Amino acid sequence: MSLKVDHERCTECRMCYIVCRELDINAVYVALEPLHRIEIDLDACTYPGCTACLMYCPAAGSIVEVATGRSMVPPSPEAWQS
Amino acid sequence: MHPILEEFCDKWVWPTMPGAPGAEFRLKLTREKCLPAWEAILERTVHDIEEELTSNDEEWKRQHALRGYAAEGVHMSIKQMSAQLLSVDIGEQENYIDLQRMRARQIWDECKHSKLHADVLLGKGWVKNERELMSIAQANVQPLPAYFGPSMMFPHIHPLARAAQNYYTEANACLGIMAYIKMVDDPLVVHEHLSQRDEELMHFMEGKFQLDFYCATPESQHHVEDALGYLLHQIGGFGRSPQPGAAK
Repeated sequence: MSLKVDHERCTECRMCYIVCRELDINAVYVALEPLHRIEIDLDACTYPGCTACLMYCPAAGSIVEVATGRSMVPPSPEAWQS
Repeated sequence: MHPILEEFCDKWVWPTMPGAPGAEFRLKLTREKCLPAWEAILERTVHDIEEELTSNDEEWKRQHALRGYAAEGVHMSIKQMSAQLLSVDIGEQENYIDLQRMRARQIWDECKHSKLHADVLLGKGWVKNERELMSIAQANVQPLPAYFGPSMMFPHIHPLARAAQNYYTEANACLGIMAYIKMVDDPLVVHEHLSQRDEELMHFMEGKFQLDFYCATPESQHHVEDALGYLLHQIGGFGRSPQPGAAK
């Protein structure tokens, strides 16, 4: 299970990048190609163990679950009420 | 609780990173201080919108667009936010690169707001082109103290006080925008608010993150409490500010 960015919804504010780096997980990175967009390293991301980026993302629908394609922003209660 | 506030809280306020060190403080502050103020200000906004909707003409939309054109964009972006960036010594700049980048992103957003307000004025036929706005005073004056008043002179605000400002004040902006988008059945008015919706929610999240991660001790929490006390009393208070000319 992992997460990816939906670039049709992401506003590139980088809140997810800041949060992920603050936790020293560093799964969120700025890809040089294309367009310096935010991406999530599937190998480094610890979702669903960590859901921190979902709590601070302000762009509805911009982070989705890879396996299901389900939108995770805003996060559903099971993502944080554990 | 007003349904708009309830929706806002369910989507953006209550979701909290498990184990976030300052989350308990933020949630307590939210319940005790923010919610009553958010509710009161939202009710005021909803009442204002209802009154506007009962009017028989669209003059209020024109006034909103003109004021929005003046209020957003370069005025505050360049003056206030560049002051915040420059308050960090050159040698320390690299430690605040994300803050700088977010402010740069905000300047871009702010400039976009003006364009959307101008788009309303153009779309409604109230001006033929943007040049005409230079001749309309309302599109070029700005009475808010955050723009040109004394608060502009104090950029050395503690980062956690700034976080409180982002969290509390920007939530008010988010709620007002949600109210306009839900209540006003006019594509141009909705369109006028979309860039602000994105920007204000980003600020709110910036504040929420900083409170959750950095406000775990009384030493850090007092910056937030002080700022919130000031904001609730001075800016987001429950009474309207005296109108110019009303003072005796």
